[in-house]
Amino acid sequence: MKKKWFAGLTMSTLLAGSVLAGCSGDNGESSDQGSSGGDGEKVTVTLAGWGGNPQEQELLQQTLDDFEAKNPDIDVKHEVIADQYMDVMKTRLIGGEGPDVFYLDAFEAPALIETGVLEPLDEYVTDEFDTADFEKPLLEAFQKDGATYGFPKDFSTLALFYNKQMLADAGVEVPQTWEEFRAAAKKLTKDGVYGYGVAPELARQYFLAESSGGSIVTDDRASFADSKVVEAIQPVIDMHNVDKSAAEPKEVGASWGAEMFGQGKAAMVIEGNWAIPFMEETFPDIEYGTAEVPAIKGEKATMAYTVSYVMNKESQQKEASWKLIGYLTGKEGMETWTSKGFALPTRKSVAEKLGYDQDELRGPIVTGASYATVWANGTNLPIITNNFNNQFVSAFLGDQPLDEALKAAEDQANSEIDANQ
Amino acid sequence: MKRTISAKKWREIGQGYFFMSPTIFVLLLFILGPILYAIFLSFHKVELLGGTSYQFVGLDNYSRVFDDERAKIAVWNTFKYVIIVVPTQTFLAIVLAATLNAGLKGEKFFRIVYFLPTLTSSAVLTLIFMWMYNKEGLVNFMLDTLGLPTYNFLGDPQVALAAIMVMNIWSTAPFFMVIYLAALQGIPDSLYEAAELDGAGPIKKFWYITVPQLRPITSFVFIMGLIGTFQLFDQSYIFSAGSGGPDNSTLTVVLLIYQYAFKSMGTMGYAAALAFLLAIVILIATLLQRKFSKEESLY
Repeated sequence: MKKKWFAGLTMSTLLAGSVLAGCSGDNGESSDQGSSGGDGEKVTVTLAGWGGNPQEQELLQQTLDDFEAKNPDIDVKHEVIADQYMDVMKTRLIGGEGPDVFYLDAFEAPALIETGVLEPLDEYVTDEFDTADFEKPLLEAFQKDGATYGFPKDFSTLALFYNKQMLADAGVEVPQTWEEFRAAAKKLTKDGVYGYGVAPELARQYFLAESSGGSIVTDDRASFADSKVVEAIQPVIDMHNVDKSAAEPKEVGASWGAEMFGQGKAAMVIEGNWAIPFMEETFPDIEYGTAEVPAIKGEKATMAYTVSYVMNKESQQKEASWKLIGYLTGKEGMETWTSKGFALPTRKSVAEKLGYDQDELRGPIVTGASYATVWANGTNLPIITNNFNNQFVSAFLGDQPLDEALKAAEDQANSEIDANQ
Repeated sequence: MKRTISAKKWREIGQGYFFMSPTIFVLLLFILGPILYAIFLSFHKVELLGGTSYQFVGLDNYSRVFDDERAKIAVWNTFKYVIIVVPTQTFLAIVLAATLNAGLKGEKFFRIVYFLPTLTSSAVLTLIFMWMYNKEGLVNFMLDTLGLPTYNFLGDPQVALAAIMVMNIWSTAPFFMVIYLAALQGIPDSLYEAAELDGAGPIKKFWYITVPQLRPITSFVFIMGLIGTFQLFDQSYIFSAGSGGPDNSTLTVVLLIYQYAFKSMGTMGYAAALAFLLAIVILIATLLQRKFSKEESLY
C-alpha cells in the first residue's frame, strides 16, 4: 500500500515536472541542434548583439549575407538584445544558453575574461587574418596574459563638435587648446546657450582626468582622489560653477550631448562618431563641424570606445564561430560593415582604403585613434565608474568641493572592491 | 500512538497528498525553493559565471552591510521614502474616498477619473513623468508660470527623490481610495444620524466616525503601503537609468540589491543577504504597525 501512494506521488510529480519543463524547451534548441550537425549538414551559429539604427542593421545583415554566401554550410542566427545587454548576456551564459558569438564592450571585457567564459582565439588565428593590422590599443583591450579573447569590430573616439553659426557670430576660432576652449566657451555662453555641453561622467572625462599624470585606477583599485587628478578635472567643474559656461544636458532638458547640441543649447560638445548619423537624422539643419579634442597642456588626448566579437567557451560550434568572427573582423567583412561610416574600422588597412581620415566630419575622430585612451581598465572599472559618477555629479552641481567628493568616492569604491575579494 | 496509523489512514493521507502534489510541486519549485536558495546564497560568496562556485563565508555578507556606505545611503533613502509616502498616500486616499462618498453630483465620473492613474504601468508612468519633470517640461512650466522657482528634477540630488515620491503618491493613493470606498459603504448611516443630532459638523463626523470606523482598513492600507514602498525599485531604476544617481539620491535598497546581484560580478551572496535583511525589516515594521494599531486585524 505504502509503495502505491509513493509511486503515485512520484508519477504526478514527474508529470507536473515534464509539463513545466516543456515550457522552457525551445530556447536552447538552436545551439543544441547544431551540435549534431557535421558532414554536409548545415550548422547554425548564433550571433547576439544590441541593436543599432535601421541602416546599421541593414549593413550588418548584408555582411552576414555575404558570409553565408561564402560559407554555405553555416547558418547565422542573429539575435538582437534590446535592453540591458550585459544583464541578459551574463544570465544566459550562467544558464548555459549563451550565444556562440556575441558583442562585448571593452569596458566590460576584463571582468568577463577573468571569469573564463570566453574562448581564447589565438589558436584559430591564421597569418592571413593579420592581427598586426588592428589598431594596437584597441586590440589590447581584449587581451589578457598574452591571450586574445576578442577582435574589435569597430570603434569611435571623441571629437569636438562645434556649431559653425554660433562660433562665427561670437567671432571665435575653433579652439585648439584647452585654454582657448575655456575662453571660447565663455564667449559663446549667452541667451540660454551654453558654450560647452558636458557629460559629467567618468567615461567621458577619463582622458582629461589623467592628463596631469595622475591615474584613475592603480592595480585594479580606485586612485582618483589623487591631487593630480583633481587638478586636471577641476576646469570642468569651474566651467560649470564659476564661468557658468558649461551645463549638462539634463539641466537644459536634453537627454544627451548631441541632443543638447542639436537643439542649439550648446555651442560645443565633445561627442563621438555616433552623434553624426543622429545629427543627420534629427537635426539636419544645424551647420556644424568637428575638430580634434583641444590639446591639454600641449598634449593631444581623447577617449576611444570599442566593441569586439567574442566566442562563448561553451559553444558547440567553435570552428564555425571562428569563421564568423574571422570574417566579420577580417578585412572584407569589416569593409562592408564600416562602409557607411556608422562605425569606424579598427583595421588600419580598411581605414586607409575607405579614406575616413580624409572625411570632413569623421577625419578628426579617426585621427584621434592614434593617441586615444581606450575606455577599459581592469576588472573593477564598473565599480569605480559608478562611484566616481555619483560623487562627481554632486561636485559638478556645486554641492561639495571636488577633492572631498572624489575622496569619498574613492573610499567607497575601494571598500567595495576589497569586500569583493 | 503514531505507530498505530492504520493502513486505511495511510491511504487517505496518501490520496490527500496525491491530489495536492501538483500544487506542492509548484510551491516548492517557485516559492519555497528560491527562498531557501536565497538564504543559502546569503551565507556564501557566490560566483555564478564561468564555473559556478560557492564558498562558505558565514556571516561575512551580513556584517559587510554595516561597512557599506552605499547600503547606508540606500537604507536612509528608503526610510525617508517610506516615512513620507505611506502616511501621505493613506491620508490622501481616505480624504478622496470620503469626498467621493459624500453624495455629490458626478461622483461616479470622478471615481473613474481618480482611479485612472493606478491603471498605468509603473514603467510607463515613470517615463511620462520624466518628460514632465524635464527641465523644459510641464511641471517646470507650471512652476514658472506661477512665479515659483524651477528645478532640475532629474539631475539635482536634492529633489530627485522627492520627484519620485510625488509620482508614486499620485499613482498609488487612488488604489487605496477604492479600498476605502468599499469600506465606507459598510459604515451604518445611523451613526452619522446620531452624530448630526448631537450637532456634529462634516469635519467632526469625518474625524469621530469615519476615521475610527475605517481603522481595520487603515491598518491594511498601511501594511500594504509599507511593503510596497520598501520595495521601491522600478521608478528609481528608470529615473536614474539603473545607477541610483544623481549622487546616490535615488538609490533604494532594492535597487542596490539589483546592482550587487546583476551589475557587479561575484556579489550575488551579498545581494541575497541584503534582500534577506530587507525582508526582516519589512516583517518588523509590519509587526510594529500591528501592535500600535491594537487591532484584532483580519490580515
